[in-house]
Amino acid sequence: MNVANDMSFFTLVAGASLPVQLVMIILLITSLFSWWYIFIKVFTIKNASTDAEQFEASFWSGGDLNKLYDGLSSGRRKSQGMASIFEAGFKEFVRHKQQGRMEVSDVMEGTRRAMRAAYNRELDNLDAHLPFLASVGSVSPYIGLFGTVWGIMNAFRGLSNVAQATLSQVAPGIAEALVATAIGLFAAIPAVIAYNRFASSVDRLSVRYESFMEEFTNILQRRI
Amino acid sequence: MIRKHESEISWKAGMLALAVHGVLLVAMVVSINWKAAHPPMHITEVELWDNLPTKPAKPIAVTPPPIVKELPKLEEPKPVEPPPKPIVEKRDPAPPKVDIELENKKKEEALKKKVEAEKKIQEAKKQADIDKFKKAMREEALRQDNAVENKQKEDLKKLQQELLSDERVTTAKQASAVSPSVIGEFTEKIKAKIRGNVNKTLCGDGNPELTFQINVLPTGELSGAPKLLKSSGNAACDDAVERAIIVSDPLPMPADNAAKAEFRNLKLKFKPNAE
Repeated sequence: MNVANDMSFFTLVAGASLPVQLVMIILLITSLFSWWYIFIKVFTIKNASTDAEQFEASFWSGGDLNKLYDGLSSGRRKSQGMASIFEAGFKEFVRHKQQGRMEVSDVMEGTRRAMRAAYNRELDNLDAHLPFLASVGSVSPYIGLFGTVWGIMNAFRGLSNVAQATLSQVAPGIAEALVATAIGLFAAIPAVIAYNRFASSVDRLSVRYESFMEEFTNILQRRI
Repeated sequence: MIRKHESEISWKAGMLALAVHGVLLVAMVVSINWKAAHPPMHITEVELWDNLPTKPAKPIAVTPPPIVKELPKLEEPKPVEPPPKPIVEKRDPAPPKVDIELENKKKEEALKKKVEAEKKIQEAKKQADIDKFKKAMREEALRQDNAVENKQKEDLKKLQQELLSDERVTTAKQASAVSPSVIGEFTEKIKAKIRGNVNKTLCGDGNPELTFQINVLPTGELSGAPKLLKSSGNAACDDAVERAIIVSDPLPMPADNAAKAEFRNLKLKFKPNAE
């Protein structure tokens, strides 16, 4: 028996059985999507934090709040993040004030509700795709493992037809099967790392938004 | 899938994701490139003979002598050559001594010079002659060597052929010498051992008969897989018997070497259901 096991990555993938190849394709697609979302999240979170910094700088610079609001609402782009919270809160506050004859507590309550709604919307945008990353991180190793188990089962089934079992008869099958686990891990590890990182930065951003809401409420209350 | 505000960056992110996978793929292709080293297989077939027939012993003894004979021949010419040197040198110095006693010193010196010159010339000539002679001798010796080697090779071949033919004859003789009762006894033993390992449910209720050819080494181990010569008509039964033969390894073997040779190619008629 001449064992010519020159294994390259392509022969490993091509030599695998159909279910294992399917598993590999599924894992490749999930990996592509997870990386896509990872990059999207990197950019959106980076944008959100720079936006928050810019808005905080202009907010605490001591300018007129009416001017700030006009600048934001007249902008072509729909305001995001902290700016949209400010916009919602200030709009509600101005409306209540124009109606007049309202209790201070009611005005503040309405403003808070508006800001809370905007905050939730923003947080929802920030949290987008994180569940997908979490499930890729936790499930894709199992998918890979399934492919590996299937491949190894096939390798051993082939062994039962041979009188003399040698390692060289099983080894290629096992190597092919293990590629599935490798791809699963390649998909899972970045997804888990990205999930944890994004979750913590979203948390930090949400704390920042909340503290801004509190401070802004105080400022509005003083103006009544 | 994608939020409105993300549509701007989705292309960029998609390209980056593809780039990451390209890098991963390249890394995997480069790192998983296992080349199995194939050492060149040297298959040497060795035939082991238990008992060499006595006849070939003579030819073996005959062939080595040529080497012994040739070697002295090679050595002889050389000792022959050197002697001329000393003889020539001894002769030449002698005459001047005689001259010295008889004649004047001048003459002596002149003579000496002449003689010495002659000597040198003679010596040079002789040296050249000797060298030529030596060369010729060496070449001859080499030729003879080659001839001897060729002869030896031919002899060896003949010998081997003789040995082989002798072996066949002797084994045939020995085989005929082995009592059939021993062979019968051990084929029965082998069959009994195999029968114990057959899964008889696979062979049905009838009395199927199959013939296997098995090659048994003198140790009782199987060499190679058993070959099915005549099927029982039931593939499951054939497989069951084949497995049983493999499981029965090592097979019982008689102590006698001659009898063992009888089992080298054993055609085994086998009835799994017979008791």
